Amino acid sequence: MMKPVRMLPLLALVFAFGCSGGDKTPTETTGSTAAKSNLKVALLTPGPVSDSGWNAMAYKGLQEIQKELGAEVNNQEALDAKIKDAARTYAQQGYKLIFGHGFEYNKPFMEIGKDFPDTIFVSSSGSETGANVGAFRFYLEQGFYLAGMMGAKMSKTGTLAMVGGDEVPSIKSTFTAFKAGAEAAKPGIKVIQVFTGSGQDVAKAKQATLDAISQGADFVIHQANAAAQGVFDACKEKGVYAFGANADQNDNPSGAVIASAISRGESAFVEVAKQVEGGTFRGGVALMGMDKGVIDFIINPKMADKVPADLKSLIEETKAKIVKGELTVPKDEF
Amino acid sequence: MDVLIVLMFTTPMALAALGEMIGQKAGVINIGVEGTMLTGAFFAMMAAHATGNPWVGLIAGTSAGLLVTLLGGWFSVKLGADQVVVGTAINLLALGLTSYLFRSKFGTSGQLLSLPGLPNWNRIDAVILFLLAGVPMAVWALQKTRFGLALRAAGEYPKALEASGFSVAKVRLVAVAISGILGGLAGAYLSLGVAQSFAENMTSGRGFIAIAMVTFGRWRPSMVFGACLLVGFLDALQYRFQSLGFDVPFQLAIAMPYVVALLVLALVGKGTVAPSALARPYSKE
Repeated sequence: MMKPVRMLPLLALVFAFGCSGGDKTPTETTGSTAAKSNLKVALLTPGPVSDSGWNAMAYKGLQEIQKELGAEVNNQEALDAKIKDAARTYAQQGYKLIFGHGFEYNKPFMEIGKDFPDTIFVSSSGSETGANVGAFRFYLEQGFYLAGMMGAKMSKTGTLAMVGGDEVPSIKSTFTAFKAGAEAAKPGIKVIQVFTGSGQDVAKAKQATLDAISQGADFVIHQANAAAQGVFDACKEKGVYAFGANADQNDNPSGAVIASAISRGESAFVEVAKQVEGGTFRGGVALMGMDKGVIDFIINPKMADKVPADLKSLIEETKAKIVKGELTVPKDEF
Repeated sequence: MDVLIVLMFTTPMALAALGEMIGQKAGVINIGVEGTMLTGAFFAMMAAHATGNPWVGLIAGTSAGLLVTLLGGWFSVKLGADQVVVGTAINLLALGLTSYLFRSKFGTSGQLLSLPGLPNWNRIDAVILFLLAGVPMAVWALQKTRFGLALRAAGEYPKALEASGFSVAKVRLVAVAISGILGGLAGAYLSLGVAQSFAENMTSGRGFIAIAMVTFGRWRPSMVFGACLLVGFLDALQYRFQSLGFDVPFQLAIAMPYVVALLVLALVGKGTVAPSALARPYSKE
């Protein structure tokens, strides 16, 4: 057997890089533009913040907080059993505000919140709240509903597809809304739903999309986060259209994205941080939708000529109805 | 269902499984093949992104896979470290290193990359041809050549190999190198040939499945390849199954290929055929 000391170089390498996926090093406040504040803000994400989508949005929000409020910020990936550990550690280190970017953080935050009454915990989606525990609810369903309408109106085959990575309630809820939008625009339309089980496996996302297209889908929306490129490339290869999700993905190099259902969640994060700093945070679930300018549906300007004029006005009308509250897009409660 | 699509999506797993099998035949179990693939996928993407040439990417990814596997091989063969521990370390190292480098190059919030693909004829490309030729070649090399015999001896009864004048360490290191080359190529093909993109941790467990395929294929090249094709086919089938809209939890659909593989193994896999000295460090007496 090998002497333990011989493992040291390998161990050193592992520790040097093995932990970097979690971004544990504190991000120093660099901006001298904002006044230094004592606020310390942490963010927990379910996946890598480099996904140009859901997690990237939260990370941008955190950066905005650092810039605008001069707060000290830190983030890491934490899922399942790691959630409580990570949240407790941050709370003990004096972080005043801890974000968990997903519904899966809601319950753990309720538990930990009791032990750290001076720390405020906010999860992106989730329904349980307390004095120091709150939640956002990004109403991305509104954007997906419009995408469903557009796909249904424009589809030549009468088949749409939704390709998801992980099957989590927030993703399922957006898919339900997409289906509802499609059904409203064209009753009886066929909507295929496929999950790959991973928001990082680009190849699987591509394979699932190719299969959906081979069954006739000519509009595909995704909730595949970092694996989204697989969806877009499959659409490009087969000459069908894709919808972007979470971020504005209209300028994707594939050229297949005709419109995006986007979440400008950054502003929501900054808003909560301001409330916490000002001592006005009161918990509860804050619904972030089109009326607050957080959710939007944007047609790719480069492909706008492909969209019939009456459909464009239908989308605008529906948008206005949603903003005014005349139309309530279905969303699951979780 | 398009057979060529199934073949293309199965190729990364099959290449990695073949490489893993060769390493195991020589007595080295490479748990780090997931890390090898991820390293291959990442450096293939970097090189192809920088040069715009997928062939350069393929070579870079394969070389990177070879290097990281040799690093692990050095610990497990030359220094006699526990092969499972070394492999786990390589997996963690690869995930951390590629994620770190990806973020430092493309920004912390990432980019959806679109890479140049390999020239292909109706989805058949050079790597797929290499795989199709590689299976019979592996059968021949393992059974009919002097080196194949030495390699098998290193995994079955290393003392006999040493007694006949070979260096067990050298033979094992060559086997590890072959498994690194195939694992690196598997990763490079995953990012360049199949996905034409890269995402952190994009291998998502394919390496571990490849290790399972070696056992499933009873350490025989043709059966390992067959096992990969079966699982690949079932995997393609489960997407169809999902999209037909049966009211079955998707987790069951995703697990289906592996459940079937287990069932087949339980039915046909009687008796032990694993190399007797598998995962046992060898030191000269």
